[in-house]
Amino acid sequence: MILTATVSCKKFLDQTPQGAIDSEKLNTPENIDKLVVAAYSALGNEMIHTSYSLWPWGSMRSGDAYKGGDGPGDNSEWHDYETFVTNRTSNSRTDLMWAQCYNAIRRVNEALERIDAVDASVYPDKVVRTAEMRFLRGHFYFMLKILFKYVPYIDETIDQKAYGTVSNRQFTNDELWSKIADEFRFAIDNLPDEQSEIGRPLKSTAQAYLAKTLLYKAYRQDEDNSVTGIDPGDLNDVVSLADEVIGSGKYDLAADFSENFQGSTENGKESVFAIQYSRDDGTPFGRINMGQALVYPMNQEFGCCWQHIPSQNLVNAFKTDANGLPMFEHYDDIDVTEGDDFIVNTFDPRLDHTVAIPGHPWKYKPDFIYQESWARAPAIYGYYTTLKGTVAPDDPTFQKIPPFMSSSSNWQLIRFADVLLWKAEALIELGRKDEALPLINQVRQRAVNSTGRLKQMNGNYTSTYKIELYEQGVNTDWTEDEARQALEWERRLEFAMEGSRFFDLVRWGIAAEYLNHYFSTESSKRTYLQTASFQKGRDEYLPIPLNQINYSKGLYTQNTNW
Amino acid sequence: MKFTLTILLMSFSAILHSQQKVVSGRIINNATSAPLAGATVQSGSRSVTTDSLGRFSIQSRIGETITASYIGMVSASVKVDASTGNLSLLLNQGTVDLNTVVVTGYQTQKKADLTGAVSVVNISEIKDIPTGNAIKSIQGRVPGVFITSNGNPSGASTVRIRGIGTLGNNDPLYVVDGIPTKRGLEELNQNDIESMQVLKDASSASIYGSRAANGVIIITTKKGKKGYSRVDFNASVSMEYYNTKLKTLNAQQRGAAYFQASVNDRSDPNNNQIYQFDWNNDFDNPVLNQVVLPEYIDAANTMRPADTYWYDEIAQTSILQSYNLTFSNGSERGNSLFSIGYFGNKGIVKETFNQKVTARANADYSFFNNRLKIGENLSASYIKNSLVPVGDVMFTALVQQPIVPVHTEAGGWGGPASGMTDRHNPVRLIEDNKQNKSHFFRVFGNAFADLEIIKNLHLRSTFGVDYDGTFQRTLRKSYVSGFLSDPSNQVSTSQVLEGNWIWQNTLNYNFEIDQSRFEVLAGSEQIKYLNQNFTGSRQGYVLENIDYSYLDAGSSNVQNGGIGSAYSLASFFGKINYSLSNKYLLSGTLRRDGSSRFGSANRYGVFPAFSAGWRLSEESFIKKSVPVISDLKIRYGWGKNGNQEIANNATNSLYSAIYGTEHIFDTDLGTAYDLTGAGSGQLPSGFVRTQLGNDSLKWESTTQSNIGVDFGLFDNKVVGSVDYFVKKTSDILINPGYLAVIGEGGNRWFNGASMQNTGLEFLLSYTATISRDIEFTVTGNMATYRNKVTKLPEEVLTAYPGNGTNKTIIGQPINSRFGFIADGLFQNQNEVDNSPAQPGKGVGRLRFRDLNKDNIINDDDRDYIGKFDPDFTYGINFAIRCKNFDLSFFLQGVKGIDVYNDNITYTDFSSLWPGTNWGARVLDAWTPSNTGSSIPALTLVNKNDEGRTSTYYVENGSYLRLRNVQLSYTLRDKLKSLRFQSAQIFIQGSNLFMVKSKSISATDPESVNNAYPIPSMGTIGLNLTF
Repeated sequence: MILTATVSCKKFLDQTPQGAIDSEKLNTPENIDKLVVAAYSALGNEMIHTSYSLWPWGSMRSGDAYKGGDGPGDNSEWHDYETFVTNRTSNSRTDLMWAQCYNAIRRVNEALERIDAVDASVYPDKVVRTAEMRFLRGHFYFMLKILFKYVPYIDETIDQKAYGTVSNRQFTNDELWSKIADEFRFAIDNLPDEQSEIGRPLKSTAQAYLAKTLLYKAYRQDEDNSVTGIDPGDLNDVVSLADEVIGSGKYDLAADFSENFQGSTENGKESVFAIQYSRDDGTPFGRINMGQALVYPMNQEFGCCWQHIPSQNLVNAFKTDANGLPMFEHYDDIDVTEGDDFIVNTFDPRLDHTVAIPGHPWKYKPDFIYQESWARAPAIYGYYTTLKGTVAPDDPTFQKIPPFMSSSSNWQLIRFADVLLWKAEALIELGRKDEALPLINQVRQRAVNSTGRLKQMNGNYTSTYKIELYEQGVNTDWTEDEARQALEWERRLEFAMEGSRFFDLVRWGIAAEYLNHYFSTESSKRTYLQTASFQKGRDEYLPIPLNQINYSKGLYTQNTNW
Repeated sequence: MKFTLTILLMSFSAILHSQQKVVSGRIINNATSAPLAGATVQSGSRSVTTDSLGRFSIQSRIGETITASYIGMVSASVKVDASTGNLSLLLNQGTVDLNTVVVTGYQTQKKADLTGAVSVVNISEIKDIPTGNAIKSIQGRVPGVFITSNGNPSGASTVRIRGIGTLGNNDPLYVVDGIPTKRGLEELNQNDIESMQVLKDASSASIYGSRAANGVIIITTKKGKKGYSRVDFNASVSMEYYNTKLKTLNAQQRGAAYFQASVNDRSDPNNNQIYQFDWNNDFDNPVLNQVVLPEYIDAANTMRPADTYWYDEIAQTSILQSYNLTFSNGSERGNSLFSIGYFGNKGIVKETFNQKVTARANADYSFFNNRLKIGENLSASYIKNSLVPVGDVMFTALVQQPIVPVHTEAGGWGGPASGMTDRHNPVRLIEDNKQNKSHFFRVFGNAFADLEIIKNLHLRSTFGVDYDGTFQRTLRKSYVSGFLSDPSNQVSTSQVLEGNWIWQNTLNYNFEIDQSRFEVLAGSEQIKYLNQNFTGSRQGYVLENIDYSYLDAGSSNVQNGGIGSAYSLASFFGKINYSLSNKYLLSGTLRRDGSSRFGSANRYGVFPAFSAGWRLSEESFIKKSVPVISDLKIRYGWGKNGNQEIANNATNSLYSAIYGTEHIFDTDLGTAYDLTGAGSGQLPSGFVRTQLGNDSLKWESTTQSNIGVDFGLFDNKVVGSVDYFVKKTSDILINPGYLAVIGEGGNRWFNGASMQNTGLEFLLSYTATISRDIEFTVTGNMATYRNKVTKLPEEVLTAYPGNGTNKTIIGQPINSRFGFIADGLFQNQNEVDNSPAQPGKGVGRLRFRDLNKDNIINDDDRDYIGKFDPDFTYGINFAIRCKNFDLSFFLQGVKGIDVYNDNITYTDFSSLWPGTNWGARVLDAWTPSNTGSSIPALTLVNKNDEGRTSTYYVENGSYLRLRNVQLSYTLRDKLKSLRFQSAQIFIQGSNLFMVKSKSISATDPESVNNAYPIPSMGTIGLNLTF
């Protein structure tokens, strides 16, 4: 007896992937444009633990802010950041942020590989889109650079199969800065002066970012992260680039400081480059700023999670002296904490734009007063909370994403005040401190003008504001030291809680002494800081994530002293 | 490729000389004197079934043996001689019967002939246990089958056969009436199960080839039996109790503990928003006079302080009901069975439930003198489950502060106020989700035709279906609960349809040549699977009522989504069993499987196996010289199995358009961006890579050797078996982390790891008949395994416990933890000063061991801690029959296992989660006057990083549980007038007591860390047969 069973099994086992598309189908001009969009969308693809404002790295580690939340155990990885001593190469947040930036860079390179392969005759936007993509790549590498110092530099010319062979020490510190600068130089050369869509960078945007890059590059560092010198060539470029941005006439300081931190005034004239968030856009919760989702306080309108808490040291720093200038030496001698403290002392008005203080209106709303009860763990972290990065619950950009909340208010990666102060910093280090004075005063004058929204129900100002400009021979001698001190203070107060302070301290080469002094004073008020300690020559940069060193099979070199 | 299977079979003929005669008689249950309907009577290759009065009539030959067998009973045999007339065979209850017919995959074999490691489940032991999942009922009863479970009313449980064998899906393959499925048994009616076998080793399981590496559980459902018709009705009702509530602090205690923590820190205890303290203001000698509660705990004055014990608020004593009705009928021409069942389990967490309605129709019909059999087995299930988020409820019952009231004064929801954790009121979670239910249906069954081409040559073709669907419509209500609120509501609807068809063709031929017996099998199998799902949601509902909550009624944020998946499998297999003189047994299997999940070059895997057995007890030198040995068999098997449990499209590089994702806790992977700065509206969007392909992917394979001994002593009063196995899995399919520069969608499956399990299994049973009225059986089993990872790519080692360099998971069990050794508490400043550098160390704080003796406590002082695979697991079942009473109790235990109890971060510390409630254990924390405590001094500030992975959280998880005790009474003579064939009433208790380690703080070592609590149960039930 014979049985024959015949099965045509080749066809039977060929299963087409469901709901996905093959790589080759994406090489049309229409789809290349979409890959460019996908790269842009990476600008805002952050999560609650990887804010592109960089506050967990740039603000929380700088003495300006505490982690906050329920206690040290809540997001303990950040507690390890904040106190430095227990930070480890295996800290998962470090790896998360590294990977997030490279995910974005891969999207950029994906678009560039396909743009390169298509002819301008069928894809007329080829050059501009290339410049846009290189601008974005410069942005992501800039973040990686200030976080990690030594990173593998991968662009679209490297075959994907060879990614695993690119070391993080292929380039020196200085060469890496040059690679980033080259991205922006290409962008400057090929971007138009105007674009129809506000989310795309312009020539002037690239000039601003190049100025920022060269300012960081100018401070040469040795292997131990010590500043060995400041390169005048780079500084001169910073000055001329800033001048071009200023001269472009596209930008100015917003009339009131508050306009930088409200949804209704986003994309104003101060905004040089911003992440364009959105809501009611067809996604479940909107493409909102998840990086600020943990920083709202604990009331019924918000309800979570009270993180990124201004330090007492920061609040004290807003005190002004009889001349209306910062109390450079003795600002931290006596704490201002509550009630009358803010009436009997005098303050820079930027305090009430930056810090929520019990009894003071929340986000310019006199009928919405920040309460002590909105704090989550005051016994550990005090009562303050942050204002920048948040919006009021009735702001049209406000979005609940239970249990969190955030907004579609743009986050400015570069605002014009930054450009002014970069130029001022470069000028001071070039020995042209007098030219820096009006720039710093320009920023201060706007602060002077920014008290209109800081009023209570009864029409009184929330705090007592007294802020003056620097006047050589009147309230300052404007020596080089004084100029540098004024610049450092101006940056701290202007950009407090915006995620840049730590990187400023490292750039200036003062992070270790500054932070260890801060820990010694602040730990008497916040006992959890008693264990905190900054190790000079190590903690200026995050370690290369242990995972990445392992995945690279030892190709990557760990950062100094980690 | 065309695959042609050609089998050439030769016909054999045997000349029969023996003298035929017809033997008739009755089969009777020795214990109850009741006739056994449906018992199998065999003589040679012929077999008949007894009728409703236990009667049979069979063609036999002089010299043949007539054997009567019945599930759960010891078979009885008698040799036919010239005088044999009307037989009356008495069967005894028993656990082991060598003539038991065992389904071993596309064929059946007698237990005596088995050469692989096959466990037969004694269904009679578990049939009355109302777990809603047959597999849960066998926990601890089958050596080598490790079942972990919790109290969830759905009955879902985790089944691991011979440990964890792979890094992916470790679930066994279930084969129900010949149809393989990976879905759990909780979706089928336990009462429909006639028999259950577990194929543990590769030589027995390899006939299922590609999906058998995790072991195979074979289920045969009840069928109608020739010659009788009957109606069975079973009913039981159980009460369920939550007896393992964790002790948390009450409102006063929580205040006092906070006070203690605060003064320990020398910080002002009144610097908080909840409690005020009347105390002596002396940090050196603090005296607390009174904990002062505020008039209201919130600024809006809506909540007065309460003293809520949240576990009481979420728990209930609940009822489980189970009813089954089975009709069966059998005749010469065909048999049929129809059953319906209802299972309703209200859980011990309020508003949780599981309701299951099942129906089954099994039928077969014979034609052409029984040469052709046509039949079907079909089951349909409808299951409704609650969507109350039990994990969150259990967690929030632990962490929500006792001072928070369930409701505000105005009747709204209580919730956290200032200074408290941002977690929900668990009662609100229950009440606001109780309207949300999941509806599930499954149609599972097959139709078959079995043609006996020539004598004992069967061609069988089976077409099976296994389709299921899930439908959910959920209403998320708006709420205000303390400082937590969400003004929006949302309705979501989702639907999943999935399943496969399966087509099997087999050819079975059994024949004998002299003393040689052959069983030959050849076959093919094809499976095609498809899954499609979609979701939709809207917001803006004016009514928050589930009857109103359809998508159409929503006004804003219209969302939808959907995706699908598919795979197919094609297999060819063959098997030969050979037996010589019933002494020497040989078996060989070959299976060739193809799967769409693999690259075209490696699409097929070949899975061979062989096994051999030697029945020493059939040898005359044993029979004569060692008469106590009634049965003895040594068996050895070797074989290879596969695993294809990876993503369907792992071989392809894929791109997807992902407009935006639900990114609450995760990174938004979307590709849309607001380039125009409009802030809202339709956004431009793109594509992103989601996966890198690997076209060289191939099957993961598991090679297993098994050596075993089966024995019976003293006329099989003592029977048992011992098995030792070595199971090596190689080319394990992994999708590990990768070098981040590769970028999004750089994840890629590859064959990269190896693992090894070795183990031992024992089964021993003793049956004794004291008198006709009293008999008892004791069955014990014990099993153990050792797992270790033997290979992993070096660069992915950090993804597993270890330090990535000199201490890695290689050589360690996959269930490993890596951390510090907590070495007690610092008792005084002197100890602190003379200890290695440890940031944050202090008196009353945890001391960590300086493993590398470098006088610094840092990452280098970590090692593997705890032991998360058991030394052994065991079960002991006692069954005693005394006249009409049956008493059985079953003890089940796990010895030498640790659990990692994350809840200790809440129960022992005030510092790790300062805003939550804490365990009552903190009241016993270390103080200078309570130095005997192992619980660190209370503090609000965790300077010492005491939440780090350490042995402090490792607890002894060994336990011994009285899993089940049952007393039943069988009514006999009284029934005859009522036309009952049999009737039985029983009472039963489950999980009545447990012995556990004194040191464990978890209330139930089986369900730590907020798993659904395991209830204690009391059941009364009734089994009637008409």
